[in-house]
Amino acid sequence: MNYQIKGSRVTACILLALSCLVCFVAAKSFTSMWVEERVYPVEEFQQKKLSDYFSGIKGTPADQPVFIQKGEEEGGTVLLLCGTHPNEPASNLTGVLFLENAKVERGRLIVIPTANIMGFSHNGPQEGHPQGYFIELADGSKRRFPYGNRLSNPIYQWPNPDIYIHPSSGQNLSGKEKSNLNRCYPGRPDGSITEKMAYAIVELIRKEKVDLAFDLHEASPEYPVVNAIVAHERSMELAAMVTMEIEAMGIPIRLEPSPKNLHGLSHREWGDFTDTMPILMETGNPSQGRLRGRTNEDLVVTGKDKCYSRAFDLGKLYIPYDGDQPLSLRVARHTNAVMLFMENLEFINEEKGLTVEGIPDFEEIVKKGVGHFLAASN
Amino acid sequence: MGHGWAVKIMEWFWPEGFYTIAMLATFAIGAFSFRLPIAIAMSIAAITGALLSGSGIPLRHLVEGAFGYLDTILIIATAMIFMKTVQKIGLLEAIAAWVIRKFRNVPLLLSLGIMVLIMIPGMITGSSTAAVLTTGALVAPVLIKLGVPAVKTAAVIAMGAIYGMIAPPINIPAMIIGGGIDMPYVGFGLPLLVCTVPLAIFSALLLVYPHFKSRGNDEKALEEELKRMETTRLSFRLFLPIFVLGILMTGERVFPEFWPSLGMPLDFLIASLCGLFSGSSWNPLNAATEAIDDALPVMGILMGVGMFIQVMTLIGVRGFVVVSALALPAWLLYVGIATSMPLFGAVSAFGSASVLGVPFLLALLGRNEIMVGSALSLIAGLGDLMPPTALAGIFAAQVVGEKNYFKVLKHCLIPGAVTALWGIAVILGANYIASMLPY
Repeated sequence: MNYQIKGSRVTACILLALSCLVCFVAAKSFTSMWVEERVYPVEEFQQKKLSDYFSGIKGTPADQPVFIQKGEEEGGTVLLLCGTHPNEPASNLTGVLFLENAKVERGRLIVIPTANIMGFSHNGPQEGHPQGYFIELADGSKRRFPYGNRLSNPIYQWPNPDIYIHPSSGQNLSGKEKSNLNRCYPGRPDGSITEKMAYAIVELIRKEKVDLAFDLHEASPEYPVVNAIVAHERSMELAAMVTMEIEAMGIPIRLEPSPKNLHGLSHREWGDFTDTMPILMETGNPSQGRLRGRTNEDLVVTGKDKCYSRAFDLGKLYIPYDGDQPLSLRVARHTNAVMLFMENLEFINEEKGLTVEGIPDFEEIVKKGVGHFLAASN
Repeated sequence: MGHGWAVKIMEWFWPEGFYTIAMLATFAIGAFSFRLPIAIAMSIAAITGALLSGSGIPLRHLVEGAFGYLDTILIIATAMIFMKTVQKIGLLEAIAAWVIRKFRNVPLLLSLGIMVLIMIPGMITGSSTAAVLTTGALVAPVLIKLGVPAVKTAAVIAMGAIYGMIAPPINIPAMIIGGGIDMPYVGFGLPLLVCTVPLAIFSALLLVYPHFKSRGNDEKALEEELKRMETTRLSFRLFLPIFVLGILMTGERVFPEFWPSLGMPLDFLIASLCGLFSGSSWNPLNAATEAIDDALPVMGILMGVGMFIQVMTLIGVRGFVVVSALALPAWLLYVGIATSMPLFGAVSAFGSASVLGVPFLLALLGRNEIMVGSALSLIAGLGDLMPPTALAGIFAAQVVGEKNYFKVLKHCLIPGAVTALWGIAVILGANYIASMLPY
C-alpha cells in the first residue's frame, strides 16, 4: 500500500492550518511556565535584587530576588544559592524551606532560591520532564513548585557556539555549557546573559563579604559524584569536620576536593576569585538520571523507579537505593548538612559564627515530609 | 525456581517492554506496509506509545522532543546549502578531477584519496548525509566509470560518510556522549583518528582498490568525464567559500574574546554567499531550494526521532532499554555494545549515542573516557546503516540509482562488522592506546 498523497494548494493549506493549531496549543503550554515562583519568606527577611550587585542585569530576565536576614548578634555571613539547575528540585526546595522558617540570631543569612531563574521557565527537550510538581502541606493542601531545565531558556540565550571557551581559563567545554550557570563562573560583565548572571552572583559574594557560600545541587544516582560534598581547598577543613558529623549520624556522604583544573564551577571559581569558603553539595535525584523509567511528577517527589531498583541490584548506582529516594529525604540531607556547616563555622573563625533557629532537623523532615514546614500558597 | 524467574522477567517486561514492542511495530507497519515517510511513521509510533501508556496525545511533549534537534537541523540545512554552493561553482568537481588525474595511475592512493574526499563533508558538518549527498554523489559516477559495481560504490560511499561523520573535527555523537558525563569535547582529535583512519583504509582497500587494480580499457570514457569535470579551473577565487568558512570557524575558537559567536548555521550561510564572488555564474535561490529539498527528509526524520525519544523517556521505555542493556553479564556487555548501539541506530545514530552511549560510558568508567567515548561514537555511527532510517545507506543507494538498499547493505556487512570489532578493541585497549598518543 502506498499512502503518499500528492501535494496541492489544498493540502498545503490544510497542513499550514494544522501547524498553526499545534503551535497555538504547544505555545500555550510552554508559556504557562513563564511565571516567577512564589515564595513566602518569614518577615525578618529583607528583599533585595541581584541587580543591586551588578546593574548590568537590571531589567533583564537574569534579575531576581535576593533575601537577606540579619541576626541581632554580629557574626559571619552565609550564602545559600539554590536552584542553579532547575531540574534538581531538592536544591530549590531547601532554599524555600530556609526562607519560610529561618530565624537568624547571630550573623547574616542570604538566600537565593532560584539562582538560574532563566532555567525555571522551560524543560529540557527529549527529557519528558513535568513542568512542575506538587508537595502536600501540613494542612493537607497541595502547593505547586516549578520543574525546569539545567540550562538557561534559549529564548534568552541562543544560539550557543559549538565549543564554549571558558573566558578566564581558556578551558574548552561543549557549546551548550555556555547556558549552564555552573560552568560560567566567575562570569563576565560583558558576556552572555548567563555569564552576566554568574558575574552578579560573584559580585554579591564580594560586596556582602560572604564567609561561607553554598551551591546546592542534585545528581543522577549513577553519577560518581553524588551524595557528596565538594570543597575548595579553603573550605576543606570545615568540610572534613562536617562530613565526620554527618557520617556519625549514619548518613552516607562523600567528601571530594574541588579539582583545580575544572573551571567555571562554583566550588572552584568562588574560591579562586573571592575570599569566601565555597561548598557544593549533591544528593541523588532519580528524576534527572538516564536510567530512569516512567518520568512524571510522582518520580520527582517519591523517587520510586523500577529501573533504578534494577540498576541498584546490578551494582550500577553510587547511592544506597531501597526502591525510592523521596524529595523530602533529599531536602533533609541538604538542610542537615547546611545547618552543621553553619554550626561549625565558628570553630574555623570564632567571630564568624552563625546561629539559625526554626529549621527542622533531618529526622523531622524525613518523617513529616518537607511540605509540613512550608507555607500554604495564597 | 523456573517459575520465579518467569515472574521476575514478566515484572521487568511489563508494561515497558510491551510499549517498546508496540512502538517499534507501529513504526515498522507505518514505514513498510503503508510506506509512509519515515518521519511520519516515527511520529505515529510516538503517539501510539503515549496513548497506550495513558498519556493521551501529549502535544507539548511531541513539540518539545522535535525541537531537541533544532540546532542540528539548522546545521544540516545550511551545510547542504554550502555544499550545493561549492558544487554549483564547480569546486567539488574540479577537486575530484584533480584527485583522480593525480592518482589514477596509483590505484592505492586513488582509493584512499576518494575515501578522504567522501569523508570531508562529514568531518566538517558532523553529518553522514551531507557527505553522501555532496562528495558522495560526485565520486559515484567516477567510481562506476573506474569499474566499481554500483552497489559496492554505494557501500563505500555509505561507509566513508559514516567515518567522515565520526572523524574530527566535528563529531556530534561524541559530543552527545561526552555531554552526558560533563566531559568537554576536548582532546578527541587523535582518538577519533585512531577510530576512523584504519577503518577508512580497510574499507577503501576492500571495496574499491581491487576494481581499480583490475580495471579494463575504459580510459577514453574516463578521460571525457574528467574533462567535463575540469570545465572550471582550480583557482584561489574558487576556494573563497572554503577559506571564508575556515576563517569563520577557526576565528571563533582562536580569538574567543573578541570574535563574535555567529553559530555554525550563520557561518555556512556567509560562506555560501561568498560563492557569488567565485567567478562562476549560479543561481543562489535554486541552489538553496535544491539543498532544502535534499535535506528535508533527513530534517523530518530528526524531528520524528525527537518525538520518539521524548515519548520513550516519558513512558519509561528509555530506562527499560538502557537498564536491560546494562543488565547483560560482563562478558556480554561488549557484545551488547556492538549490537544494541547499531540496532538502536534504526531510530537514529544520535539517539543511540544519547540513550545508550552515555550509560555504556558510565558502565566503563575507569578506562580512558575520551578513548571509550570516541569508540562508542564510532559504534553509534553504524546506526546510519541500519534500516529503516539508514541515513547514510539509503541516500548512498539513491545516489547510485539502486532501489533495493539491502543489496548495498550486503556489501556493508563486512566493513560494518569490522568497524564494530575495532570499536570494541579500542574500548578494551583504551588506556594503552591513550598512553601511546602524544597529548
